[in-house]
Amino acid sequence: MIKFVLMVNRQGQTRLSRYYQPVELGRRAALEADVVRGCLYRKKEECSFVEYKDFKLVYRHYASLYIVVGITESENELSVYELIHNFVEVLDKYFSRVSELDIMFNMDKVHIILDEMIQNGHVVETNHSRILAPLSALDTLAHS
Amino acid sequence: MSDVVERTLTALPSLLSSDPSPGRPSSTSKLGTLIRGITELTSKHDEEKLIQRELVSIKEQVSSPNTTMRQMKELMVRAVYCEMLGYEASFSYIHAIKLAQQGTALDKRVGYLAVSLFLNESHELLLLLVNTVLKDLQSTNLIEVCMALTVVGQVFPKDMIPAILPMVEEKLNHPKEIIRRKAVLALYKFYLIAPNQVQHIHSKFRKALCDKDPGVMSASLHIYLEMVTEKPESYKDLVVSFVTILKQVVGGKLPIDFNYHSVPAPWLQIQLLRILSLLGKNDRSTSEMMYEVLDESLRRAEMNHNITYAILFECVKTIYTIHPKAELLEKAAKCIGNFVLSPKINLKYLGLKALTYVVQQDADLALQHQMTIIECLDHSDLIIKRETLELLFRITNGQNVKVIVEKLLEFLRHSKDDYVTIDLGGKVTELAEKYPSEMISSSLWCMNE
Repeated sequence: MIKFVLMVNRQGQTRLSRYYQPVELGRRAALEADVVRGCLYRKKEECSFVEYKDFKLVYRHYASLYIVVGITESENELSVYELIHNFVEVLDKYFSRVSELDIMFNMDKVHIILDEMIQNGHVVETNHSRILAPLSALDTLAHS
Repeated sequence: MSDVVERTLTALPSLLSSDPSPGRPSSTSKLGTLIRGITELTSKHDEEKLIQRELVSIKEQVSSPNTTMRQMKELMVRAVYCEMLGYEASFSYIHAIKLAQQGTALDKRVGYLAVSLFLNESHELLLLLVNTVLKDLQSTNLIEVCMALTVVGQVFPKDMIPAILPMVEEKLNHPKEIIRRKAVLALYKFYLIAPNQVQHIHSKFRKALCDKDPGVMSASLHIYLEMVTEKPESYKDLVVSFVTILKQVVGGKLPIDFNYHSVPAPWLQIQLLRILSLLGKNDRSTSEMMYEVLDESLRRAEMNHNITYAILFECVKTIYTIHPKAELLEKAAKCIGNFVLSPKINLKYLGLKALTYVVQQDADLALQHQMTIIECLDHSDLIIKRETLELLFRITNGQNVKVIVEKLLEFLRHSKDDYVTIDLGGKVTELAEKYPSEMISSSLWCMNE
C-alpha cells in the first residue's frame, strides 16, 4: 500500500502532504526532511526507488518539485512511479501545464484531485476525465 | 513540466509583488501572504514565529460570527497549511466540520477535505460529522452525495457504521456510475475497519464486480483483494470472472479513456494479476484456468513504456507464484533476463528484485545472469548494490558463502543507516549459523561492529 504522498521542493519546503497511515504531527516535518534528503542527493542515473527504514520511497523529479511516495514492500514500484506521472498529467490538464506555484496556491484543489486517485493507500481511479469530473462540477457551480 | 521552470522563475517577481493575475489567487490573499512569508524565511525559529502569529490570527477569525463560509474556507486551507508544516491547529477542527455542514459546493468540499486531513478514525469530533454526512447522502445534489461518499471512504467512526450502512447500500443501485463506484469504495473502507459489519452484504460485492461500468467493477476489486488475501479458498468460484475481466481489459475492450499511454487500464491489470496470483497459488486446476490470459498479457505488454514493464513484472510474479507451467516460466525467465540486462537502471532494479523472488524455484536463472549480478555488486548506486546483496544472500551455498559474507560486511562497514545495519547484520549471523565450518576458518570475525 501507499503510506504517504509528498510534494517537496529542492529547499525541502513541503508543498503538499497526504498520509494514508497515521503519523503524528510533530514527527512529520522530520520525516519529510529526511525523506527528501534521501532523494535529493540521488544522481540522475541512479534508480528512482530508495530503501528507507523498513519501507521504500518512489520519487520523481519535476522542475523544482520532488514527488515522493512511500510504499510498503508488496507494492509494485514501477506502477507507483507511473502513478506519480499520471497524477502530474492530471494536474497539467487541470492547471494547463502545472507549476510549483499552482500547487502552492491551490493546495486544496490538488488535494481534491489526489483524493480521487488514491484512497486508503490504494489506487482507486486513474482515468483522467473521471478524476477531474467532481472538481470540474464544483468549478462550474462556483461560476454559475 | 521541465520548461515550466522558466515560466515559474519569470512569473515569480510579479507574483511576489502585489499584482493579482486572473485565475490565480492573489498573492496578497491571506494564504498567499502566508506562503510568501514562509518561502522567504531561512530559519526554523522565524518560521515558528510566523506560524504562531498566523495561528492566532486564524483562531480569532474562525471564532468571529461575521466570518462567511467563503472566508472560513480560506481559513481552513491556511490551517491545513500550518498543520502540514507540523504546527497543531486543533482549534480549527470543529470549524472544519461546521464548514462541511454549512458550506455549499467548493466550501463544503474543502470542509470535508480539512476534516479528512485533520482527524483520524478515533477522534471524538468525528462523531459530529456523521449527521452532516447522512444529510448530504440524501441530497438531491449529486455533487454533495459524492462528497459525502468520498469522506466516508476516507475517515469514518467505526461505531457509527450501522447508522450509515443502509444509505450507502442504497447508493449501490444508483443510476450514476460515480455514485455506485464511491459507494463501493465506502464499503471497502467499512470492510477495512470493521469487516464483520459488512459480512451480510457479500452478494452486493458480487453485483458490483459484474457491474457494466468498469469503474464500479474496479472498485469492487479492492474489497476482493482483501478477502482473497485472507481466505483464497472461498473465492475460487470467481476465478472465471477475474480471468474474463482481465481478458477483456488486455484485449482492449474498455473505452479508450481508460487507457494510459495506449495501455488499457494498467493499474487494473496489475490488480487483477495480484488477485489471480493469490487464487492460483498451490492450486493446479485453478492455475490452469489462468495460463491463457497470462500468456496473452505477456504478449500484449510489448511496448517500451514503463507502465508495460510494470505489468510485465506483475505478470512474471504471478507466473512464478501459481502452479508452474513450463512454457510460461520460460517466457517469464526471458522477461526477467531482459530487465536485468537493461541499461535502464529502474528496470535493472526490477530484474534483480524478480530474480530474488524466483530464485528459490529457479536458481539456474541467477546463475545464467551471474556476470551481470557481479557487475551490479560494484554498482555506484547503493540501492542496486543492496538489492544485489539481497539476491546473493538467497543463493548462498557452501562454496560462495565466504565471498558473500565478505561483501555483506563491506557494505555494512560503509553504511550509517541503522535499518541497513540490523538487516544485513542479521543476514550475516544467519549465514554464520548455517555454514559454521566455512566461517570459522576465516578472519571475518574481526569485524565486530
